[in-house]
Amino acid sequence: MDLLEPTRDALYRLASLDPALWQIVAVSMRVSLIALALVTPLAVVTGFALAMYRFPGRRLLIVLLQSLLAFPTVVIGLLLYLLLSRRGPLGAWQLLFTQEAMIVGQVIIAFPIISAFTLAAVQAADPRLHETARLLGATELRAALSVLREVRFALIAAVTSGFGRVVSEVGCALMVGGNIAGLTRNIPTAIALETSKGAFTEGIALGIVLMVLALAVNVVLALTQGGGRGTPSIDAAWYRG
Amino acid sequence: MLAAHDVALAYAGRAVLDACSIEIAPGEALVLSGENGSGKTTLLRVLAGLERPDAGRLWFDGAPIEAGSFPRAVRRALQYVPTHPYLFSTSVRANLDYGLRAHRIDPDERRRRTNAAIEWARLQPVVDTPPQQLSAGEKQRIATARAWVLAPRVVLFDEPTSNLDRASRAQVVALISELCAGHTAVLIVAHDRELIELAGARRLNLAHGRVQAPDAHAEN
Repeated sequence: MDLLEPTRDALYRLASLDPALWQIVAVSMRVSLIALALVTPLAVVTGFALAMYRFPGRRLLIVLLQSLLAFPTVVIGLLLYLLLSRRGPLGAWQLLFTQEAMIVGQVIIAFPIISAFTLAAVQAADPRLHETARLLGATELRAALSVLREVRFALIAAVTSGFGRVVSEVGCALMVGGNIAGLTRNIPTAIALETSKGAFTEGIALGIVLMVLALAVNVVLALTQGGGRGTPSIDAAWYRG
Repeated sequence: MLAAHDVALAYAGRAVLDACSIEIAPGEALVLSGENGSGKTTLLRVLAGLERPDAGRLWFDGAPIEAGSFPRAVRRALQYVPTHPYLFSTSVRANLDYGLRAHRIDPDERRRRTNAAIEWARLQPVVDTPPQQLSAGEKQRIATARAWVLAPRVVLFDEPTSNLDRASRAQVVALISELCAGHTAVLIVAHDRELIELAGARRLNLAHGRVQAPDAHAEN
């Protein structure tokens, strides 16, 4: 099979700002970024609480969280489909085949990833950190924020991993989104559809977008970490008056 | 001012502190010695509210205080500098400012006190150095200044000069001496001769889970 021609066509379609193509990219970005914005605070708080506090059922929750990491997205899609379908318990909400349903699915997929990464990051943090904050008079909330600040690069990695997972997953998005053109067709579902039709140009174009996205996220991550290492983050001029 | 009465604490069935009592008067300097594993660090952590004793009580200005729930005024008045202090990865200034911010001191006053702390601990040469790149001695001086900046009434030091070279040790001892001269009460766990012989300091020994006068220890 000749890959050169469809690749050239794909680049042309991207460069010519083909509206149909870029609308698919826009759906992907909108759904994934909203899902991340919703899930990140909850997942970070959960991971932090599991790392810092001892309470009954904690170990069970950690095992559950780690098990969810390996949960197939298509099964999450199936469960969500059953819940949201017209005869399902949440059928009255009429969310099936909408972007909102895709967002719910992506929230469920990203939650264990961001929580587990946060848990690992906070557990690996120096135990003197929280203690020092409390000794200096920080409230529990301020001490918690100080811990999260110290492990911020691991948290950024957690969020970018979550983004990478949701922006590229196909199973759940296909089942609860329905791959409706102009509404719920995102990059991975469009690639799957176009490839099944033998139309490789669009698939390659969207694949390039996905790869560029992944690269951009990793570049941002590397730059953030590089800039943060050993750089005083509080403006010294403020103290000098 | 700060007192522990009949404090007991055991780890895995082994009694570390056993009906241990100690009192620190305002402006007093105390040097606590004892063999390795005698419970000196544990006692300091109990006094700092970091460990909850199995029995006994802590008092501050005659009022009972509970580990983990020190009133804000006590939290500020009572500072603890461990052997290996933790510095936040932000900056030297942000470390000095942390407690002031936590205690909601107004920004102008925070700035003034932070600058005063830099001058007091002679931190100007390292003020723009990332905390991760500082030496152990510099970290100890910053941790001491971070406590000083809060104008505490009592500071607990856990072997502040261990693992420091001679020059760093002298600098840390000088800071602690200045604290004492400024009528801040200090309790220092130390093996270092310079600290043990700190002018005017009362010497105590911790043995068998109890605080004793050095002579009492010799008789045991």
